[in-house]
Formats: sequence, structure tokens, C-alpha cells
Amino acid sequence: MTGRSAGRGSSALPVSVLVLVLLPLLLMPLAAVFVFALKGGPGAFWDAIRSPEAQFALRFSLLVAFATTAVNAVLGTFTAYVLSKHRFPGDRALGVVVNLPVAIPTVVVGTSLLLLWGPIGLLGKMLVPLGLQPMFRPFGVLLAHLFVTFPYMLGAVKPVLDELETTYEEAAYTIGATRWTTFRLVLLPALRGGLITGALLTFAHSLGEFGATVMVSGNLRLKTQTAPLYIFAQFEAGDIAHANAIAAVLALLSFTIFFFLFRFASREQKAA
Amino acid sequence: MLIQRRVLRRRLRAAAFAAALFVLLSYAVWPWTPMARLARPPRAIVFYGFSILGEVINHGVFPAFQKGWRDRTREKVEIVSSFAGSGTVTNQIILGVPAHLALLSLELDADKLADARVVPAGSWRRFPFQGVVNRTPFIIVVRPGNPKGIHDFADLGKPGIRVVHPDPLTSGGANWAIVAEYGAGARSGAPDPRRAGHDLLLGVWKNVVAQAASARAARTQFENGFGDALITYEQEALYDRSRGKLKADVVYPRSTVLSEHTLVRIDRNIARRDADLVDAFSRFLFTDEAQRIFVRYGFRSVTDPLNEANPGFGRIEDPFRIADLGGWKRAKKEIVDSVWKRQVLAEAKK
Repeated sequence: MTGRSAGRGSSALPVSVLVLVLLPLLLMPLAAVFVFALKGGPGAFWDAIRSPEAQFALRFSLLVAFATTAVNAVLGTFTAYVLSKHRFPGDRALGVVVNLPVAIPTVVVGTSLLLLWGPIGLLGKMLVPLGLQPMFRPFGVLLAHLFVTFPYMLGAVKPVLDELETTYEEAAYTIGATRWTTFRLVLLPALRGGLITGALLTFAHSLGEFGATVMVSGNLRLKTQTAPLYIFAQFEAGDIAHANAIAAVLALLSFTIFFFLFRFASREQKAA
Repeated sequence: MLIQRRVLRRRLRAAAFAAALFVLLSYAVWPWTPMARLARPPRAIVFYGFSILGEVINHGVFPAFQKGWRDRTREKVEIVSSFAGSGTVTNQIILGVPAHLALLSLELDADKLADARVVPAGSWRRFPFQGVVNRTPFIIVVRPGNPKGIHDFADLGKPGIRVVHPDPLTSGGANWAIVAEYGAGARSGAPDPRRAGHDLLLGVWKNVVAQAASARAARTQFENGFGDALITYEQEALYDRSRGKLKADVVYPRSTVLSEHTLVRIDRNIARRDADLVDAFSRFLFTDEAQRIFVRYGFRSVTDPLNEANPGFGRIEDPFRIADLGGWKRAKKEIVDSVWKRQVLAEAKK
């Protein structure tokens, strides 16, 4: 009897402590975004969202996120495939290198991209006579996002590939399937879960990327300003209502993405 | 049956997910689709400016220019603009942002562009007024009712005053503020002007509690409740007051500097077919029409008689200009670098 009530008491305590800790740490800041966004009433919120600069920033961010996800889905899966199925000298070093972007501060990524591709950069200098200049253009933003989000796809796909029994592949080869057919019909279906998880993570991260983007975008309104940069610029200019309206939209999008991610992950677990 | 239903439900869910994705993608792509692009994109001026210029350029001066240009040529032109601390803008231009025109907070940043061979040295002096588009004095903004009794720069050095100051590394305004503080001390009539300038600067910097990247960012910090006093452009305060948004008092120091904002044309970024447009806009900035708009937004015009239109301009007993201190190159070396950076910053930490 006493044991049971003590057990109950001991679970109520840690739970309330957890909530108390999380409240100011996570929950209240999230709520504040929405509270401040709607402070001026729904009309002002709507006007803020509809301003051409805000619309551009949102669309541009989404577009970059889609493009980043598409490119990294292919590139990340290919990398995972090579690293998982082939043994070659330096494969371990390469495995570490491709995961580096998570460890490097994003601002550093931005600086290094500038120093490489910028007009005074190592490779950028050679591009200038050709009339090419990737930095401060949408393409520069895409480059930065590809770099920063590269490990997500890889991280989601490679473990699945590593775990997969090679017998299926071998069976496919014995009945004369080519490498591509094997990949398409045997590996890809198994990778579905990893691909979706990786894509959602990449998309969400790209949507919110700030550190590298602020360095390489040039922050041009209606040209290269992503939604997070727009929020920062509005906030710095003291226009907190505008900043928060877009922040609320971004937060909502991210929530939706993570909702899908969780639903998906839990369903996969149930299936397994 | 059951399995069929489950499959059906799964298909439906997948379809809904795909549809949501499609809607999001089409929303994002829409402005770039042929349907939305039927109209040929208009020509645009790429304009970079220091932090406090955002409103006056985007909502005041450019629309006026746009209208005049349209009336004359029937062409609708646009502006692509970016505003940040003057030093930030300068570095962005050196790194290659495609700016046509830049309005910098101080000539020193124009010199930096010349040193980086982005523009020919002194090329901005070919504009009217040697490239200075407008001015504004440096003032002190305090909490309503001035509870700490701040009446001049010297009062900022009193114990317990918390000062919000922009960062001289990235903000042109911060460099002006340092010159204002030093100059106010040096011109106070003390027997040793250099000593007096140094002491005043040290007093202020002992009390700096927050350094922001730009004058505008510093104002935002102050508005959010940091500090007792903010050193900034008069224009910031006047513009807020004109919209009834100023929840603070303005203190005019006895002696302060009038900042002068320099226009720079970045030739290498201007395609030949856009040159007429860019030059028309840069000429427009110095016309009475544009200058009146600047005055309405709280900037002091380079054409003095126009300044009477704004009754908000406060009186300063002893205003001075950077030329009185020997120009920016000298002021940077003798005041910002040698006094502020090498002496005051180190001494203020003690």
C-alpha cells in the first residue's frame, strides 16, 4: 500500500519538475511568438503576412528548402549507398568528413563559402571574368543550404542501408538484376522510411537556416532575403509585429513538418 | 474487407500528404512561373544604405522618384534595397554585393571602398555637396521625464548610468557618436582639450552596457528596455516622434557633431543600360524635392533654408562637423583608434 502511493508520488514529482523546467525553456517562448504575432489583431497579422517582402521571403525560403531537399535526397542517398556498400581506402575518413557540416558553426560555413566562391575568393576570382558570381545570389543561398543540411539525409538513410541484409541484394544479382535495378526494386522500397525522415529533417532545417545564409545572401529584399533573414531584419528595425507574424508562420510550418515526422516515425516503429 | 479499407485509408493519407506538398510547392514557385512573369520585370536600382535610411528611402524618396520617372518616361522602375550598419554595408560591397548606389553613414566607409579598389578614391566628391546627401546631429535619448537627470554627454559618465551604444566595428553611427563625445569634451573650454576629450569618452564608455551592430539595432535594444540613455542620430528620435511613437525624451548636448552621409556610386556594378536610371536617381537625391522629404523624415538638409520646414529640429549651442576635426581620416586615427580603441577601451574595463 505505502509502496504504491509512494510510487505515485514519486512519478508526480519528476513530471511536474520536468514541466516546470520546460515551461520557461521551451513552451513559453514558443507561445510568445504567437501571442506577439497576434497582438495587433488578426487584421494587422494578415497585413504583415501579405506585405510583398514577407511574401517573397516565405516563398524564397520554401523554394530553397524544396531544392535543397531534392538535391540532398539524391546526393545523400548516393553517398550513403557508396559508403555503406563499398570498402575503399579512406572510406572512414570520408565518412567523418561528410558528417562534418553538423559540427561546424553555420557562420563559419558562410564565411568559408564566401572565401571560396565570393568575388575575392579562391575560385570566385576565376569566375568573375566569366561573368559568373554565385554569392549574393539565390544560387549562393542554395549552396549554403546544401552544405549545412548534407548530413541529415545521409544520417537517415545510411543506418538503414547498413542494417539491410545483403542476402536480398545477392538474390537479386543471382537472377541477373543489374545494380540499378537492384537498387530500385530491392533497396529503395526498404529505404522509404529513411528517405522521408531525412527529407523532412532537411526541409525543416533549410527553412530555418540563418547563420550561413546571412553571410552569403547579401540580404537583398525581394531578391535573396529568406524568411529568417526577413524576421531578423524586421526585428532589428524595431518592427516587432512584422517579425513575429512571419516567425509565427515559420513556426507553424515547422510544427507541421515535425508532426508528420513523429506520426511517421511512430507508424514505422509499429510496423517493425 | 478490413485489409482493403486499411489500404484505402493509407492511399488516401498518402494522397493528402502529396496534395499538401503540391500546394506548398506551387505557392513557393508561383512568382517564377510563366503566368506570373508575363509582365516583363521592371528595371531596378540596387540601393544599399546604412541602418536608419530604410523608411525614408523606401517610403519617401524612392516613391517620389518613381512617380516622377514614370510621368516623364512612362517606365515603371523598382528599387531593391538593403539596410544595415554602415560598416556592414561597406564590407558587403567589398565582398561583391551588386549595389549600384550606397549611402554610407560616414566618408570613412567610402574611403574603405576606395582602399579596396571598389571605387576610385574620392569619386564621391564629384556629386553635389561633395557627396553628402543629408546630416543629422548626435543626441542623447533618455527615459520619459529624464529620471536620471542627463543634460549633456558629461552626465553619461556619472556612476550608475547605463548607456546603450552602437558598435564602432560595424556601425557608422557609433563612430560618429565617439567623435561627438570626444569633441564635446575637447570643445568644452578645458585647458587641455585632448585630455578633456579623452576623459569624457572614458566616462561614457565605463557605463556602456550594450553594444549593438547598428544604430537602429541599438535603438531597438533601448526600446526593449535596456539602459538609461542611448546615443543616436537626432533623426531616429524625430522620426519616431512624428509618428507619435517616441516613448522617450531627447536631450541636446551643448556641443555635438553633425553626421554627414556620403553617397557612393559603384560603377563596376552598373550595366550600361541602367546607367541613366541610376544617375537620375543619384541626382534626384540632391534636389529640393528629395531634400524636403528627408527633412520631413527628420534629416537635416544640406540645403539649409529647407530645414525651417521641420520645427522638431532642436537647437545646438555648439555644433561641429568632421571637417573641424581635420576630416575623417585624421579623426579615425587620432580619436577612434588611438584614444578610444587603445586607451579608453582598456581603461574602461578596470
